[in-house]
Amino acid sequence: MIKPTSWSSREESLLLLNAYIDDELDAASALDVERRLESDAALKAEHDRLRQLRGALASTLAGERASDDLKRRIAQISESSETVVVPLRSSRSSFKTRDDWRRLAVAAALAAFVAGAGTYGILRPDPASNDVAAIVADHRRALLAATPYDVASSDRHTVKPWFDSKLALSPQVVDLAASGFPLAGGRVEILDGKAVPVLVYRRRAHVISVVAVPRVGTGVTAPPSLAEARDGYFMIRWRGRDFDYFAVSDIAEGELGEFVARWRDAAADH
Amino acid sequence: MDDKQRFAEVVLPHVDDALALARWLTGNRTDAEDVVQEACIRAFRAISSIRDANPRAWLLAIVRNTAFTWIAKNRPKVMVTTDDEETFGRVGLEMVEPQASPETVLIEKADSEHLHNAIAALPIAYREVLVLREIEELSYQEIAKALSIPIGTVMSRLARARNLLIQRIELAGTGKAGVA
Repeated sequence: MIKPTSWSSREESLLLLNAYIDDELDAASALDVERRLESDAALKAEHDRLRQLRGALASTLAGERASDDLKRRIAQISESSETVVVPLRSSRSSFKTRDDWRRLAVAAALAAFVAGAGTYGILRPDPASNDVAAIVADHRRALLAATPYDVASSDRHTVKPWFDSKLALSPQVVDLAASGFPLAGGRVEILDGKAVPVLVYRRRAHVISVVAVPRVGTGVTAPPSLAEARDGYFMIRWRGRDFDYFAVSDIAEGELGEFVARWRDAAADH
Repeated sequence: MDDKQRFAEVVLPHVDDALALARWLTGNRTDAEDVVQEACIRAFRAISSIRDANPRAWLLAIVRNTAFTWIAKNRPKVMVTTDDEETFGRVGLEMVEPQASPETVLIEKADSEHLHNAIAALPIAYREVLVLREIEELSYQEIAKALSIPIGTVMSRLARARNLLIQRIELAGTGKAGVA
């Protein structure tokens, strides 16, 4: 911070000059500045420069005009949010809440089943291991459901705000349609008792789930990325800036690796 | 008045202004649209508690904060906090001598591209004050409130921002005058 006492009188008069031009001075101070302008040529020159700058800014800096698309998306915030942001109001919403609990129970049961069945091989001193089991279970459950997503959209501008309104947090949502991994939508899963966002991508007839787990604290630095196979699914996990990501799918490991590489490239989140 | 109606009255009319601010803070339009959309979601969440006399300034403050969160996340290197004030404080607030160049550069006639670049090159702490004043036309008081800084800081940042712009335009202008 610059302390007022350290200002030279020159600097102080410049501040006053700016305030004068901005019409922020009271009448007495404005009069004082006007008097000084008459007698101080340097100050007058600076005054003229500032006025000219003002004119240049006004004539060249046109404001922005929001596109119809953006306006529509923003108008939608107050439409959709009534059922999403405040889920306890309507009867439809309370059904939704129950649904979430039911899903939690299913996910937990499946996680327990998977963890139980594979206990011998997978018991490693890795706290994320349970998460891995739960994520694979969740992916399988999603494949069994009518749709593997709760919001269906290939538009990241729809998916991201959906997470934002639902969870008050949203991972980066990137569109990889050009690379052959179109965005299909998103869903919310319960992992370790917390609701986490899941992005859903498609690869031909296959589904890729990207689970984004908000990072708590800094923790131990995980290896940049880690791949493993479980129950016929491949999983790659990596650490982003704010989230730990888990991509899981039944596509070939190399293909999933390519997906992750492109995703991280697009997200610029290394 | 329900939230939806309030949102329509308080937020929707100012989306263009919100976009202009976000555009100058993030540097491009695509990112600005993301920031504005996120800011509007935040605004909607807070809409029932709005007591602000100037909803436009209120929305712009949310846009500004959203943009800073976005910048911190996506371009941490651009982030300039008030701690850097001292560094930039040394960027002089000196007046250019009136007789310095006989052929006075007409700032008024500054090339608009130069002007754009000069603004974009300002440290973000100066740029936001300049944009809030010159483009959004907020008062010093409103800017101070939106940025949570004292009025004196608003004044000094604004003066420095303009000073830097003038210096840059004159530099570009004298370069051109030499060719002509």
